[in-house]
Parts: sequence; C-alpha cells; structure tokens
Amino acid sequence: MSRLLGLFVLLAASLFFTGLAARIKARWAGRQGPPLLQEVRDLRKLLGKGEVIGRTTSFIFRLNPPIQVAAMLFAALLVPVPGQRALLSFSGDFVLFAYALGLANFSAICAALDTGSSFEGMGASREASFLTLVEPAFFILLGSLALVTGQTSFSEILSRLDYGTGAAILVKALCVISLFLMLLVEGSRGPVDDPTTHLELTMIHEVMILDYSGPDLAFVVYAAGLKMVLIAALIANLLVPSNIGFGFGALAFAAALAVIAAGVGLVESFMARIRMSHVPQFIFLLPALALTVFGVLLFALRRGF
Amino acid sequence: MTLVLVGTGLFLSGGLVALFVRPSFKGTVSAIFAAAAQPFLLLPAGRVLAGGGVEALTIPLSFPLGPAALRLDPLAAFFTVIISLGGLGAAVYSAGYMKMYRDRPASLSGYAFFSGLLCSAMVLVVTVQHALLFLVVWEIMSLASFFLVGFDHSKEDVRKAAVYYLVAMQVGAACLLTAFAWSSSSSGSPDFASFGTVFAGTGLAPTALFLLFFVGFGLKAGFVPFHTWLPLAHPAAPTGVSALMSGVMIKTGIYGILRILLLGGGANPVLGYIVFFLALATGVFGVMNAIAQPDLKKLLAYHSIENIGIIGLGIGLGMIGLSLRNDAIALFGFFGALLHVFNHFTFKSLLFYGAGVVYMKTHTRNIELLGGLARSLPLTSGLFLVGSAAICGLPLFSGFISEFGLFSGLIRGLTVGGAAPRAAVLLGLAGLAFIGAMAVLCFTKVYGVCFLGSPRVPHREAISDGSALLLGPMFALTGFILLIGLCFPVILPFLDRLVRRFVPGGAGPEWAQLVTLFQNVGLALAVLAGMLVFFIALRRLLLRRKSVVLFKTWDCGYQGESPRFQYTASSFASPFLQLVAPLVPFTHRHRLPDGLFPEHASLESHAFDLVEIGLIRPLGAAIRRALGLLTWIQTGRTQNYILYGLVFLIVLIVWIIGVR
Repeated sequence: MSRLLGLFVLLAASLFFTGLAARIKARWAGRQGPPLLQEVRDLRKLLGKGEVIGRTTSFIFRLNPPIQVAAMLFAALLVPVPGQRALLSFSGDFVLFAYALGLANFSAICAALDTGSSFEGMGASREASFLTLVEPAFFILLGSLALVTGQTSFSEILSRLDYGTGAAILVKALCVISLFLMLLVEGSRGPVDDPTTHLELTMIHEVMILDYSGPDLAFVVYAAGLKMVLIAALIANLLVPSNIGFGFGALAFAAALAVIAAGVGLVESFMARIRMSHVPQFIFLLPALALTVFGVLLFALRRGF
Repeated sequence: MTLVLVGTGLFLSGGLVALFVRPSFKGTVSAIFAAAAQPFLLLPAGRVLAGGGVEALTIPLSFPLGPAALRLDPLAAFFTVIISLGGLGAAVYSAGYMKMYRDRPASLSGYAFFSGLLCSAMVLVVTVQHALLFLVVWEIMSLASFFLVGFDHSKEDVRKAAVYYLVAMQVGAACLLTAFAWSSSSSGSPDFASFGTVFAGTGLAPTALFLLFFVGFGLKAGFVPFHTWLPLAHPAAPTGVSALMSGVMIKTGIYGILRILLLGGGANPVLGYIVFFLALATGVFGVMNAIAQPDLKKLLAYHSIENIGIIGLGIGLGMIGLSLRNDAIALFGFFGALLHVFNHFTFKSLLFYGAGVVYMKTHTRNIELLGGLARSLPLTSGLFLVGSAAICGLPLFSGFISEFGLFSGLIRGLTVGGAAPRAAVLLGLAGLAFIGAMAVLCFTKVYGVCFLGSPRVPHREAISDGSALLLGPMFALTGFILLIGLCFPVILPFLDRLVRRFVPGGAGPEWAQLVTLFQNVGLALAVLAGMLVFFIALRRLLLRRKSVVLFKTWDCGYQGESPRFQYTASSFASPFLQLVAPLVPFTHRHRLPDGLFPEHASLESHAFDLVEIGLIRPLGAAIRRALGLLTWIQTGRTQNYILYGLVFLIVLIVWIIGVR
C-alpha cells in the first residue's frame, strides 16, 4: 500500500515538475510566471482535442506516444521511494530501467525521422549522439554504487548508502551532481537544450515533438515530465535518509523533488544554453564524474572503509 | 548420431541434385532437401540439449587419419540447431532471391551446390572430434564459402573481396594447423579428448597454445584486429549467403573457442582478461565503424563484428569468473554469450534478409538514396523494425535477454574480487552500455533513413512487397525473437545442461538463481507489454470521435516540400562521428561552387577502417618488401628449379642419415 503511495507521488509530481521549474525561472527574472496548475490544464485540454497528422508519417509516428508513456510508467514501477522497496525489484533492475528509457528514446528518434523533415531529423541526430555519452555514465555510476554496497537492485543500493563517514558524504555529493547533470541532459533542460523554443540553434527535444498534437502531444509531454521526475527521484533517494518513517518519507520525498525542480529552474536562470558544438564537452562531465566516483570508491575499498 | 549424418547428407544431396535440375527449379530443390534435413538434425540435437545424454559415433578410417570420433554433446547440439535452421532459412530465401540471377544457370548450379556443401561441412565442423578431420572439414567450409562469396565474379570488387577472404581464411587455417599439430604431438593422439593433458601442463605452453587457437578461430569469428575480411566479404556475397555467413558461419569460430575452453584450455587467469578486453574493443570498434557506413550490407557486417564482441565479452567474463572461482559470474557470462550466439543468428539473418528485399526492389544498397519504404514494403519494414529493436537490446525482444544476462554477470563481478578485476568488470559494464547506445544510434539511423519519411530519390517503377519465399524465413525468425523476448523461461530448460558444463561442479544453486531471476524479468516484461497494449488502446479510445486530419508535415510552418530536405544518414551520424574522429578516419573530396554562376559542386566522403589502413596494409606492404628480397630465387628457368629440387633431396638424405 505504501509503495503505491510512492508511485502516486511520482505520477503526480511529473505534472508539476516543469511548472515549478518554469515558475522559479520566471520569478528570478522578475516575472509572475504561469500558475502551477497550468500543465494540468494544458494536458486536459489536449486530451479532449483531435489531431492533425503529417502525410509522410507511418505507424511509427502513431505508436510512439503510447510507447513513451508505457515505458516511463513501467520505469516508475522500478524506482524506490525512501524507506520503501520499489513495486518491481530484482537483481539488476536498474539495467531494465535504463533499457526501458532506451526503448522510449529509440521510438522517439524513429518517430522524429518519420516526419520527413530536416528540423526533426536534426533534433533526433543530436539526441541520439548525446545518449551515447549518457548511458555508459549511468551504468558506471550505478555499478560503482553496487560495488560499494554489495547490492544489485535499485531499492537495496539506494537504501544502504547512509550518511556515515566523510567518504560516504563525498560519494553521495558526487552522485547527486552526476545524476543532476543526467537530469539536465535526458530532460533536455538548460544548459544542454532550451525547453522554451525549438529554433535550429537550440533544438533537441522540443523539435522532436513538433508535429504532435492532441492526445499524442499530451502523452509525449507527460512522458517527458515523468522521465525527469524519475531521475529526480533517484537523486531524492540519495538525499533523503532511508531510515525515515513512512509518512515522513513520502513528504520528504515530495519536498526533495520540489527542491530539485527549483534547482533546475535556478540553473536555467543562471546559465544560458551552451553553444551546440560545446554541448558534448559539457556532457562529457557525466562520465568523468562517474569515473571519479568509481575511483574514489575503489580507493576506499582498498583502504578497507 | 547417424541421424545427424543423414541430415548432413541431405543438405549435400540437395546441392548435388540441384546441379542436374532446370535452373528455375534449382532453388526449390535445395529448399526441399534442406527442409527434409531438419527433423534429422533438430530432433537428435533437441534430445541432447534436453538431457538425453551424448551421442557418439566412431568412423574407422585408416592411416593417416586413424579412427575418427564424432560426438553430439550439448555444445555441438546447440550449434547444430543454429546451422540447421540457418541452412533452411537461407535455402528458402535464396529460392526467392536468386530469381534475380535467372540468366546465369551455371552460376546458380554452383550456388546451390556450394550452399549445400557449406551447410553439411558446418555440421561436421561442430561434431568432429579428430584434429586432422576437423581441419579437412574446416577447410571445406572455408572453400565452399569462398566460392559463394565470389558468386558475382564479373564485378571487380567482388573478386577482390573473395580473394581477401580466402587469404584471411588460409592464415587462420595455418594458425589452427600449427595449434592442432602441436597439441596432437604433445598429447600423442589427434583425438580432442586427449588435449586436456596438454592444457593441464605447466609453463607457458598451454597459454601460448590457447592464444594460437584463439587467433585461428578469431579470424573466422571476426575479432578485431582479425576482422578486416568481414566488411568486404559479406556485402560482396548474395544476400542468402551473407545471412548464412553472418548468422551461422562466423559462429563456428566461437564454437572453436568454446570447445577449447571445454577441453581445459584458457586456465591462465590472464587469458580471461585478454579475451575480455579484446572482445570489448571488437564491440566498440565494430559499431563505431557501422555508424560511418552508407552501404546497408557493409553496415550489417560491422554490426556482426560488434555482436561477436558482445559474445566474446561473455566468454571473457566467464573465463574471469572461472579464474576467480566464482560460479555465478562464470555461469552468467557463458549464459549470456551462448544465448547471444542464437539471438544474433536470428536477428542478423532477419536484417540481412530485409536488406536483400530492399536491394531486390530498389537495386541499391546506398541508404542515402532510399526512404519511405515503409509505405511500399510494409511487411518488410515491420520485420526489419523487429530485427533492429532486437539487435539494440530493447526490452520485449530477444536481444535484451542475452544482454541482461551479461549485465547480471558483470554486476555480480563488481561485488567480488580485488580492485583490478572490479575495475576491469566496470570497464566492461560501461563498454557494453556504450555499445548498446551506439547500436541505438546506428539502427535508428538505418531504419529511419531507409524506411521512414519519403523516398529521397524517386522510385523508377512501382515496387511491391517481397514474395512469400522471401518473407517466410523473416516471419519465422521474428517468431523466435518474440518467443525468446517474451516467453523466455520456456527456453531455459534447453540451455540448462549446456551452460552448466562450462562451470566445474555444475553450479546447480547458481543456475536455480538464474532461473528465478529470469522469471522475475519475464514478469516485469509482461507488465511492460500489458501497459503498452493499454496505452495504445487508450489512445484509440481518446481519438474515437475526434477529427484526425492528414495534412502536410507541420514542421513549425516550414514550407520546404522536397524529400531531399530530409536529414541524410551521414548528417544524422556526423555529430557522433566528430566526437570519435580519431577512431574512424574520413577522407573528404570536395569541389566547391565558385564564380558568379557556379555550375558544378560535389562532396564525396569515405570512411576507412582504422585497423585496415593502420595495421593490415602496412603489414602487407612490409611482408611484400621482405619477400621481394627473395625474388632472385625465381629465375624462370626450368634448369634452376630442377637444381633446387636436387639440392633439397641431397640435404634431406644427408639429414636423415646423419640424424638417424
């Protein structure tokens, strides 16, 4: 029962995550910003509409939005809430998590190429090449955590890492930073991508969904929000200590998600989008940090911490 | 075992009978004989895999071979299944595909004969247990495939590719000959069973022997740096042969390595790491080069190299597990490797068959000229999509199951051992993830550019989907992919005895752990499949009474109409290729538009194989230079040659008398 509540928190949070980030950004810039419930209203409006579909597209284009939502929802079943096990948990489940996200990415890239437009092909190409840098980093990170905790499942890895020695805090900090960078890349937020436009200089994710409308667009937007929340949930699991009680755990979890959303908004307020040719250098930070984490842990292992 | 020999004979007879039949019937005859051979091969193999014990047969041959043993143990049975199914698929597919070459009856006879010979030789390769007989059938296999690669020998690049392939195979055969001669003379008998004593010996000899075997078999399998023949030979051959070679024949190299492991080779811990890192390099190098290719079949050939790397990674992990005495790691490593052998056979054959249909209908292998084939070839494109998703290891398809097995082994490897093994395993983990992400990049490019969007160059004539003969094998392979992807626990009992043989002691409890793990994975995948169906239905429901209008692609109001505005494959891959530029060298030739009214402008870019231009060509040049110093021996005069023979005889007689 408590696990279902955790899942519900995740699903609800994905409705407010982008809204909160946008609101923080607006307030920082001196504006009022859209109300927090705006995304909910937008989704409801879209679900009630019809669609216009491009003539060049095939069944892939229509199949992509359900795949997006299904894959993200499935991945949500694998992510634990602090103090609880995930609904689906077994050894190596983070591999299935990464590959479910991979399935969604594959489908999104194919759908973008399906429209037969160069804009969307450009976004698809950039998305595909950035993913090649993010995937190994994620595995190095999770592998390092598995190494130090001796566990092999999400729920167990993230719950055994408590605030203990200085080394543990350092490792947690590095992991949080790495996962936050991964959130920026996979969620297509600044400084990797600009979520407010799809112009040629900035487009990665926004342009891939340019041709969607109606319920399809609702599915895709919700799935994108859910993906960001899932990665934020991993960060929240690291931030919130696991020996907290159930009620407080859910509250602390939601608060952590809100803090991360605010963090995303702040980063976007401080940093403009990096020049497209410099973005790979920025994304290289991810595997670099992950390898640093691994190095620190290996060093700690040899010293017998 | 006699049944297996009957099946082998049927494949060969199919080739022989096809020589004498009318050209339009040759393919049908081959296919019928191949189908007839199936029960004779699959039933004994299935029985052995399911636990029916080993089947053996001894052929009493006289000197110099001596009695030769043939055995169908679980390893041989597993590969026999792959060879049998692959041979049937190729025969049926070729019956439809080779109609393109109806005007060349002599070549078609050769094709049918050598296909039959190839399949029967491959079955013998995996069952023979006698060193010299093994080399004979190995060589027959190489030669049969050489003639098949050179089918279209009127084209110069096909001839060059075939000869390159032949040379590479002979180098491999030379290594194997040395290795087998060494082990036979050390152990006193050419029978495989006696090699265990050689590998159990001390000193550097067992390690060197294993490496020699590895190079010989690695040349056939396509490990880097021995892979350079693969991207030339597989596109040059007709599609049925490409699929057979890529899906089945290179696996005989893997079979050889596994057989050596079962005989006791590779006990030195260092060898496990060598295999592991070489396989990792093979996987990464293969897929990077695949991304750079515009030729559809060359791209698939490089992907075969990548998957051989993944299989080798599993084998290396298994060897590391054995040296660390951790049964779980070893079990998962070998499990992943063996299952991936079968999985790769299914999806690579499927992809090649699809590429063949595309070539047959559009007469080009250059993906930059294709596009929008999902509308003209709906069935082919759907099946190609299944193959693409499977090769990327996406959940719900078979590729995920074998890669998950490898990942499980790697993750377990992170939790045991000292710092060095853990660092190596982590590099393997990151590498496998990197390979997977690059495979997604490559196959979204291939599928998207070939089948989605609109045709970049308009079709000259209307094209229709492939015939039943072409699509039939593709559907069957898709069935296997979905079966393994969705209902994997059904297949597990067949792999039980096979995988556990590689771990001393049988690893019963670890196998039970593996079974439970995959049952959980199966449950999770069922949930994913259910959610997918639910959301597809939900979308239908939401759109039921709403308007769905088909219109021009919105593209934010962009008005460019021409299909040439679509993203090209090279543009799609270029951000990534710029990142890895040192590893995939490109040459660009361009003529820029100049003047006030520019008329002509062109850009030509070509990707090179780094190992080919950095290692093989300089090596070849150096060997040619060295041998050039000896050209004075070939004077062209018969008198000199008789003199050489006389001198050799005298030296031989003196040596024999002196030594004895």
